[in-house]
Amino acid sequence: MTTLIIAEHDNAALRSATAHAVGAASKIGGDIHVLVAGSGAAAAAAEAAKLAGVGKVLLADASYLASPTAENIAATALSLLPGAYSHVVVAATGFGKNVTPRIAAKLDVAQVSDVTSIESPDTFVRPIYAGNAFATVQSKDPIKVVTIRTTGFDAAPSTGNAPVETIPAAPDTGLSKITGQELTKSERPELTSARIVISGGRGLGSGENFKILEALADKLKAAIGASRAAVDAGYVPNDYQVGQTGKIVAPDLYIAIGISGAIQHLAGMKDSKVIVAINKDPEAPIFQIADYGLVGDLFEIVPAFTAELG
Amino acid sequence: MSTYRAPLADMQFVLNELAGLSQVATLPGFEEASPDTVSAILEEASKFATDVLDPLNVPGDREGSKWLEGGRVKTPAGFKEAYEQFCANGWNGLTKSPHYGGQGLPQLVSTPVEEMWHSANLAFDLCPLLTQGAIEAIELRGAQALKDTYLPKMVAGTWTGTMNLTEPQAGSDLAAVRTRAVPQGDGTYKLSGQKIFITFGEHDYTENIIHLVLGRTPDAPEGVKGISLFVVPKFLVNADGSLGARNDVRCVSLEHKLGIHASPTCVLAYGDNGGATGYLVGEENRGLEYMFIMMNLARFSVGLEGVGIAERAYQRAVAYARERVQGRAVGLEKSVKTNTIIEHPDIRRMLMTMRAYTEATRAVAYVTAAALDNARVNPDAAARAMAQAFADFMIPIVKGWSTEVGQEVASLGIQVHGGMGFIEETGAAQHLRDARITTIYEGTTGIQANDLIGRKTARDAGAVARTIASEIDKVAAKLAARSDPGLQAIGVQLAAATADVQAAVEWMVPAYGQHPRQAHAGAVAYLKLWGLAVGGWQMGRAALVAADQLAAGEGDAGFLHAKIATARFYADSLLPQVSALSHSIVHGGESALALAADAF
Amino acid sequence: MKILVPIKRVVDYNVKVRVKPDGSGVDTANVKMSMNPFDEIAVEEAVRLREKGLATEIVAVSCGVAGCQETLRTALALGADRAILVETDVELQPLAVAKLLKAVVSDEKPDLVILGKQAIDDDANQTGQMLAALLDWPQATFASKVDLAGGNATVKREVDGGLETVEVKLPAIVTTDLRLNEPRYATLPNIMKAKKKSLVTTTPAALAVDVTPRLVTLKVVEPAKRKGGGRVADVKELVAKLRNEAKIIA
Repeated sequence: MTTLIIAEHDNAALRSATAHAVGAASKIGGDIHVLVAGSGAAAAAAEAAKLAGVGKVLLADASYLASPTAENIAATALSLLPGAYSHVVVAATGFGKNVTPRIAAKLDVAQVSDVTSIESPDTFVRPIYAGNAFATVQSKDPIKVVTIRTTGFDAAPSTGNAPVETIPAAPDTGLSKITGQELTKSERPELTSARIVISGGRGLGSGENFKILEALADKLKAAIGASRAAVDAGYVPNDYQVGQTGKIVAPDLYIAIGISGAIQHLAGMKDSKVIVAINKDPEAPIFQIADYGLVGDLFEIVPAFTAELG
Repeated sequence: MSTYRAPLADMQFVLNELAGLSQVATLPGFEEASPDTVSAILEEASKFATDVLDPLNVPGDREGSKWLEGGRVKTPAGFKEAYEQFCANGWNGLTKSPHYGGQGLPQLVSTPVEEMWHSANLAFDLCPLLTQGAIEAIELRGAQALKDTYLPKMVAGTWTGTMNLTEPQAGSDLAAVRTRAVPQGDGTYKLSGQKIFITFGEHDYTENIIHLVLGRTPDAPEGVKGISLFVVPKFLVNADGSLGARNDVRCVSLEHKLGIHASPTCVLAYGDNGGATGYLVGEENRGLEYMFIMMNLARFSVGLEGVGIAERAYQRAVAYARERVQGRAVGLEKSVKTNTIIEHPDIRRMLMTMRAYTEATRAVAYVTAAALDNARVNPDAAARAMAQAFADFMIPIVKGWSTEVGQEVASLGIQVHGGMGFIEETGAAQHLRDARITTIYEGTTGIQANDLIGRKTARDAGAVARTIASEIDKVAAKLAARSDPGLQAIGVQLAAATADVQAAVEWMVPAYGQHPRQAHAGAVAYLKLWGLAVGGWQMGRAALVAADQLAAGEGDAGFLHAKIATARFYADSLLPQVSALSHSIVHGGESALALAADAF
Repeated sequence: MKILVPIKRVVDYNVKVRVKPDGSGVDTANVKMSMNPFDEIAVEEAVRLREKGLATEIVAVSCGVAGCQETLRTALALGADRAILVETDVELQPLAVAKLLKAVVSDEKPDLVILGKQAIDDDANQTGQMLAALLDWPQATFASKVDLAGGNATVKREVDGGLETVEVKLPAIVTTDLRLNEPRYATLPNIMKAKKKSLVTTTPAALAVDVTPRLVTLKVVEPAKRKGGGRVADVKELVAKLRNEAKIIA
């Protein structure tokens, strides 16, 4: 029984999601191999090799993998897979969601998406209906292909020392080409991996007013998110959105400011370990799930909160 | 906060099981109204109501329409865009003739759709509603040239319409209308005078507004037989359909009202600069007669406003009662953790009352809509006449009773909220403020009641009234014959109510001629008595259908059980009022009139 | 150019689903069903491409129970030209749907397939990618902007942390993200016209596709309920609790 993990990285460094995938794979048991497909990705491969539990890192290096497409990553993974692996585990990030089903279909096996808990090597728990229910599913396929929620599994520590083996990359499929990237510039941690998330809602009243969250976020080294209402109102870009149709987060601390707590928003943050809610409406549903609710004017409370942190 | 969701399950149930949509879909011209198409229409209308109209209801109430220098009117933010979308999506033309760009669907299909608009945003829907009235007037009696000039644009919603009846001295009494209309010898007239309470008489939605105006020609006889109907466009229309000169009609002010703030209620001045050009509709001196042709539908629509507001107030109250934590409900198991007010028996009583009234008024209105369709196009003359007689009897009830009930339900909605309901922020108060006009415009409840006792009851010596009462009795008998004790109980109450209704009819028919003042003093009680009874009739029918479907294992069991429970509540808690009203009708008139006017 | 738009009938977005007491699944009996919102965006995008003159025909396809006809009628009312239902009562998993769609693609030979990135019931986010794999077509998932020119599609994709532009050769698969467009409402005249448009029904057997589920659902449970409801009086108390009770800030 061996699990293949497809690493997510930017060639220079491994993304933390991969460590969570290794953490998840450890729950399955058996050996763990990590595929690092990229261009000049030796540094990322070296990082992967340190993850506890990893038995081997497979480095596929080719110029056309510098900005890898789903088609090319899948092709290289598929060149390794048949017969050799019992499981494929990929973090359910934008990258993993894009690539993994392509692999599953080529193997003619089902995929289990967004796994939050592994019950046994063939049985997984995953949320359905935006987290309003959890299904335990069993795969009857010879190879189990799963994507995992990073918030469901601890990251493997960097205490290992696995060998890195270079393998040939599959030829360029030529089906698609990445021609540009516009990354939202931010000094802040990424929303889905931040330890602390501060989200603003329609209560902020404008995009300009989101600035008062920034001072607090700076103090707490927090990521900033938003409710769909705030995104719809145009206060902040779409990729700030936490919720059913946006990002699912489960930080150690989630601070909801001026967010009433529509069910669609709750679906995206209710697994946070500690929830703080600040809202002027004492009846706002967000208070029902908050560990610490504070009723009042956010425009007074947030600056006071920032000041209190010293 | 509560978001409006169209009660599609109940609407479909009433359409299909009580109002006979499948029969209406067999009528000539209505073949397109198959249940699946109707279901798709309701689905899409419900999205529009929820996503576009409902979110504008509270802000529209707060902002209101504003009068600007120069007689312009600014509607609240978002209303113009919503109106444009409403028209672009074809809703304006739902029942209108395909010849002028409408879809020609039956009134029965339009009814649930209109109910949704009323629920989501009554003030918004008044503009399309008034346009509809103006379209009908032109379509029914206008010359072909008038139709060709105005109808395509009005059906598309590119131009809106208004109804100009009221003047400062002529409210319910239209005989007092004074607006002058002087023939110019070229087929046109010059109108001058002041009209008040003109809904959407001026606004910023469209390039033109078509006013339908009641006025008198110089040699017209006094009273109601001397009133003519004119089309007066805000901008004259050139032969090629383009807009010409500005007509001599101005909005001089807006009324400050208790409710429907988003709807501009205008004072219109005609002829301040020599006379507004108008075009006669039909013949001179027959204006009021034409108005009465449209009156049935206009009154029906206002009745439906009562249903729509009741539904909205109910939904808001339920949402609040589910969330509001307050006190510990009496008599619950200790293990029940919830403290939401919906667990309190008195809150339950109020919610059940709201629900039962809403479902009953809905059923009565939809059944009446089906009769309106049959009265119009049923190929069988006898069936047409029967449907017309039934619809004529029901219209004052739908108008008068549903709006009175709508107010009561909106008021209960505030009561469920407690002090929070008295605060505008929760939105409950708006429903009561908006509902308050519905018992007044298009004929007050008193006027509806006078119509019901006079033209609808006494004129045929109670024939139609007795026929309907005997139909109610048949349903009561069917219920009583069931083995289920719940259905039996409904049957018993319904039979008792029918007996009280019959007693009231037997008193009213002779009293109308012999003691007209007592009869009229009891008129509103008589209207409410009929409303409660026909509501009980339809709830009883609903309970029978629901029980049959449950026995056959069809339908949504949860919905059907709730329907039976609601019918039972209606029968036991609301229907017994019929007995008190019957007493009041028969015995209350004398004391109502006992004091001399100067004793008040 | 022909566009195929696969759509799924799902429990309406606004319905709060309930888990069946026996844990066998979610109760979908007598629950309001609607078109998957991401698929509505797909239909809208296809209609816009046709309005721009870049597409000539839009074919909507759905796989599932007879009730999907209603959802297809919605797509027709929104602007699809005709519809295909692959009817089956078997519970369809994404791989099976991808295989059915592959068969439909072989018949219809569209130049572009646009579908939602995920369905809001099973939240799998697989079908588009799987279909691309089975067809050996390129994929542009999570699209927030689609441009067609010269036999290529240039697609802006939502990726973690921003946007990525990918250029794919047609025929290709595009899956939609929320920002791609705002779907229109069906107009009343179009609802009436939809009834007269062609809707043909086929079956998995007729398409020679084995749709047997590969995953077995052992149980479905409701998520653990949070306690919640705790209150603090002021900012000082909040910070103290976060420091000393939750031990979450320094």
